Amino acid sequence: MERDSSLLDDYVLSLTDSPRPRVCFLPTASGDADHYVVRFYRRFSPSCEASHVSLFRRDQGTGGVEDDLATHLLAQDLVYVGGGNVVSMLGAWRAHGLDDVLRRAWRKGVVLCGPSAGSLCWFQEALSAFHGAPRSVPGLGLLPYSNCVHYDAEPERRMEYHRFVSDGMRPGFAVEDGVALHFRRTRLQRVVSSRPDGSAYRVEPADDGVVETRLNAAYLGADTQAPPPQAAALPPGGRRRRIARLPAPHKAGATRTAGPEPLPA
Amino acid sequence: MSADARARSEERLILAMGGGGFTMEPTNPLLDDFVLSLTPAKEPRVLFLPTASGDTTAQINAFQARFADRLCVPEHLSLFRLADAKSPLAATVSRQDIIYVGGGSMRNLLAIWRAHGLDQLLVGAWRNGTVLAGLSAGAMCWFQGGVTRSSGPPEPMPGLGLLDGSLTVHADGEPERLPVWLASVRDGTLPGGWALDDGVGLLFAERTLQRVVSSRPGAGAQRVDAIAGELVRHRLEPELLGDGPHGALGGTDDAVEELRRVNRLRRGIGGGRG
Repeated sequence: MERDSSLLDDYVLSLTDSPRPRVCFLPTASGDADHYVVRFYRRFSPSCEASHVSLFRRDQGTGGVEDDLATHLLAQDLVYVGGGNVVSMLGAWRAHGLDDVLRRAWRKGVVLCGPSAGSLCWFQEALSAFHGAPRSVPGLGLLPYSNCVHYDAEPERRMEYHRFVSDGMRPGFAVEDGVALHFRRTRLQRVVSSRPDGSAYRVEPADDGVVETRLNAAYLGADTQAPPPQAAALPPGGRRRRIARLPAPHKAGATRTAGPEPLPA
Repeated sequence: MSADARARSEERLILAMGGGGFTMEPTNPLLDDFVLSLTPAKEPRVLFLPTASGDTTAQINAFQARFADRLCVPEHLSLFRLADAKSPLAATVSRQDIIYVGGGSMRNLLAIWRAHGLDQLLVGAWRNGTVLAGLSAGAMCWFQGGVTRSSGPPEPMPGLGLLDGSLTVHADGEPERLPVWLASVRDGTLPGGWALDDGVGLLFAERTLQRVVSSRPGAGAQRVDAIAGELVRHRLEPELLGDGPHGALGGTDDAVEELRRVNRLRRGIGGGRG
């Protein structure tokens, strides 16, 4: 649903094994922005049973699904989480009990997906960056790794992620725009891309910094034949690069330390 | 900016509105002008928090439309678009004279504030003399509790507890809220408190109710307590703003008009961010 990402949308729909999948959109991270909801329906309603849940419009009867949110979400084939601010989104989810519902949906086999905040939320730890103060945010923890998105969008992202991982953030995955990680249970199954040159990276701590391993992404536009699963994901297909501990010029007290910061209840 | 560089209210003030202000009364500025009058700052810095609405453009535009050409420095903070923020949250909050909270989902408001630590920053701002104002969810949040429709049907919900008692809003505009509040006060789920019509504001100095004001003739307020399981209701007569000797508006003298014109020119076209 993002710009130029219909290939990724098609890919995630193909994971549902349903001719007309039930797809529910959660635009929470955008503050339930109307234009985002409209874009979702435009993209998904022709081929899916599309619905959305707004946590800000429930009083006005315009919140999409109005009844029991848990029952509705557990009956989906796919839950699509929109981008925006991951901290605001997780706060609102917890207030409405959606964090537990999504955990149950995942165990039940509902496919979960999303870009940006919609990716970060599934991991144990997420690197959230805004106005120059990146920090570790605890996600739902379905995937026992850390996650960094927009890896190619800003040069600081990569540097900051390396610093966090070398300082104790759990190892994880960094992903460029247009690239998606496909997990089955907690294992990385494939890396797919809507761009011919997109990549993802596995980033792990090393004695003197981090090891960044490039994961080759399967370009979804190349041909319509889906390669067999586990074709391209993990080393030895990747290239490993050892990166020495980066200088930390702005290292300033607690904001840079690793480890999840507990969210207030 | 250091705290002593600014004119501070001597008392900690909170204006809690049952409805009204720029989002609900686009042609009636009485409550918003009253808000501006609460700070001794000549050109107060006013921060709008549209969190409870999901930071809708409609609320932000209404805020700018109301305050951009008044004698103040308006800005808003979106917790959904923090990438646009010019400074860290603590700095944004601490430089304000007035913090004005919009309506919407009380549940989401408090959850998102807590996720960002903004609740504690706001309590700190109040302690330091920043005037807090808000309507609907943005009014109930300061009390021990309120009645929210965040999940659809009205239900009681705890607030931040800066003010004693509970509050229910839109007593005239959304009549289904009031019976839920009364039942909650009667059974002790919520402490006694106030029910406000749209257009009515309660001004608290420290934790004491100081004034009951209104932007609309006929709008009312009541204080309700449960005593031995029975509700005791006490009607409050609001003072109508802009009309009487106690009105906040008074006459605008030429010097103030001149200053406003200069201010508009200096700020140039647009005034706010999108």
